[in-house]
Amino acid sequence: MTQHQSQAQGPVHGLFESYPALPGTYDEMFHGGIARGPFARVAQLLARLTPDELQRAQQLAETALLQQGVTFSVYGDARGTEKIFPFCLLPRLIAAADFARLERGLQQRLRALSAFLDDIYGEQKILTAGVVPAEMILGAAGYRPMLRGLKPPGGVRIHISGVDLIRDPDGTWRVLEDNLRTPSGVSYVVENRLISKRMFPRVFDAARVHRVDHYPTRLAETLRSVSPVDEATTVVLTPGPYNSAYFEHSFLARMMGAELVQAPDLVVDGDKVYCRTTRGPRRVDVIYRRTDEAFLDPEVFRPDSVLGVPGLMRAYAAGNVALANAPGNGVADDKAVYPFVPDMIEYYLGEQPILEQVPTYVCLFEDDRRYVLEHLDQLVVKAVDEAGGYGMLMGPQSTAEEREEFRRRIEAEPRRYIAQHRIELSSCPTWIADRGTVEPRRVDLRPYILTSREGPWVLPGGLTRVALARGSYVVNSSQGGGSKDTWVMKDAP
Amino acid sequence: MISRVADHCFWFGRYVERAESTARMLAASVSLALDAELPAAGVWRPVVVVSGEEDAFLARIAGGDDEAAAWGDGEVVQRFMVWDEDNGVSLARSVAGMRWNARSIREVLSLESWEAVNELHLWMRSDVAPATYAQHREAFYQHVRRSTQLTLGLARSTMLHDEPLDFLWLGVLLERVSQTARMLDVHHHAFTNLSPRHEVVETALWLSLLRGLSGSEAYLKRAAGRVSSEGVARFLISEPAFPRSIAYCVRSAFDRLCHIRPPDHHGLPGGVALERLRVLDAWVDARQKEPLPGAGVHEFLTHVVDEVHEICGTLGRELLGAD
Repeated sequence: MTQHQSQAQGPVHGLFESYPALPGTYDEMFHGGIARGPFARVAQLLARLTPDELQRAQQLAETALLQQGVTFSVYGDARGTEKIFPFCLLPRLIAAADFARLERGLQQRLRALSAFLDDIYGEQKILTAGVVPAEMILGAAGYRPMLRGLKPPGGVRIHISGVDLIRDPDGTWRVLEDNLRTPSGVSYVVENRLISKRMFPRVFDAARVHRVDHYPTRLAETLRSVSPVDEATTVVLTPGPYNSAYFEHSFLARMMGAELVQAPDLVVDGDKVYCRTTRGPRRVDVIYRRTDEAFLDPEVFRPDSVLGVPGLMRAYAAGNVALANAPGNGVADDKAVYPFVPDMIEYYLGEQPILEQVPTYVCLFEDDRRYVLEHLDQLVVKAVDEAGGYGMLMGPQSTAEEREEFRRRIEAEPRRYIAQHRIELSSCPTWIADRGTVEPRRVDLRPYILTSREGPWVLPGGLTRVALARGSYVVNSSQGGGSKDTWVMKDAP
Repeated sequence: MISRVADHCFWFGRYVERAESTARMLAASVSLALDAELPAAGVWRPVVVVSGEEDAFLARIAGGDDEAAAWGDGEVVQRFMVWDEDNGVSLARSVAGMRWNARSIREVLSLESWEAVNELHLWMRSDVAPATYAQHREAFYQHVRRSTQLTLGLARSTMLHDEPLDFLWLGVLLERVSQTARMLDVHHHAFTNLSPRHEVVETALWLSLLRGLSGSEAYLKRAAGRVSSEGVARFLISEPAFPRSIAYCVRSAFDRLCHIRPPDHHGLPGGVALERLRVLDAWVDARQKEPLPGAGVHEFLTHVVDEVHEICGTLGRELLGAD
């Protein structure tokens, strides 16, 4: 970071003239009123935009997204209302050196998590060695004992992952959580890029940014690499148009030239999976499933599921179909297992972790629990099996009643809760349309990692989610979050 | 292809065609009502009858006492045929139907075709559509017509010419057969019962019907400018080169289905629908050689509409995954 500051040029002007940096927060673009070194040129070009131009570009961008149907469905709306994911045109920049380190760290993390899953569904040596407490792993909601001894086709379990990263006030990147089941959002990475290239062609050109539009091609290769047969038929399995991420399912199928199927389109016969077509049944070899694993196969998981394909897990167990991601991954991205990932890296790889994490209190441990209960007003408490910003206590902003409620819950089910100190997420200049100004808003970053037989590959980009409400720390789209295009810079020529 | 996807393609085609033909028929009726010296009910009643929603209109809209007044009020009929959410064949419902089906097969349609659908959908739900409807009715219908034509044109010029497009066009063509048959039937009945018969009025009526099917210029070329009920009926039934005639649509639908399910592939599903469509095509073809007696037109058209209905049902069961 210091190296960037020393390279910084001239003070902020134009669009960023009165940019009010947040105290005690790392700003992604500016430091002490000056653009960070690698971003000086882009900041200069962006600063020349007038509020009118930005306002117009923002409207054009939103209209384009709406007309292309780049939308998510709003649950519980009978009229089938669709909304665009709020989008801020001002890009989030990542320096080449920073991303190179993230890339190495993410690959390392994925290698360790893959080894962990193979172990847990195999010999469970890490439990015998006492590196992680067995009760923590075997008690995780995502642990599926019936999958033990099952080797996935191609030997890959975490084909697609999204690892949420944040940046603390020192500018240190930290892993906040791993998403190893069905992470979403990558379609917005590709679509946001199309929009920003259209809106700011000159700035984009000058910035020298890594491309992201080859993600679907890499995804198709990754999926083919684990197929049990040579000429693989790959399908994308969606819960259907009512699902909030339906656009993405359809987008990925289209970009891979694969069929988008729903569970009733699939049928299992003789432990093989077929698709019902107008010319009779057709064999399916690889399924990129975007349905939750609880709804995959009513014979094995939830018997009440109408979304499932009966017999699918039998076909999987027989090695006749590859499922991406493999079922059972939930045990590795459980929030209570997360604190042990650095131990996994050392245990399986014999390496020091490259990426930092957020120090975490595990309520199952008595000492940790005591500390959490005594400091509820300072901590963020999270239920380990919830996502999307739900089931959370934001201690510093909570009421006494809410804290009391969480105290009861933690005491009743300590395994279900972890706590962390609130991190002052880094901020990024964000266009606030209704005030016509640029203000800092807090962001996180979700890079996407594809793992094929050859190992993990990191998309040089990612989804930057931004908490659009002033003072907010919650970036989830379900709770008023938006997104930004993420520009990973190439090395200086 | 996946049966469910084929079903969406088929219904997408039907809804696009339905939206287009409804818009065209309403626009032609607006024009006719202005100068046909015809009682207003004679213009507007057939519009509702053709749509098959006469009972619903009487029950919900005409409301008992003032039935004649409702039939005679073009605004009431148009509101019913354009905006009524409870009328399954209103323009609003057809556009919603085409968009719903398109979204379910978004990965099958080309981006450009999808955007045309989506823009029409968003336009219908915006403030612009009702404002255009209020201020410039002709422009409103024209917008719907052009958007649907653009959608189909882009589908044809930007999608792979294989099964999904075949199913889409099969839907378009079968919908069009019924539409032409019903329009001709209703108008033939209404016009031949006009009393006293008046040559100028009758000519205006037949031309209006032809405009409603985008066929006035084509007809005049074939008929060397002579307008007669027999001539128009024969043209709309048998003209092999007019893309909205019954003969053309049935033949093209049969060709599409032959692509989807080749006649010599006996093991594949779809054989019953294919055979039924072949028989209908041969039957329509045979009628070309016979004279068209006035009363026989109704029976002919009824048979066509019933057969198409049966064929759609068979297609659904054999190929589209319906139970």
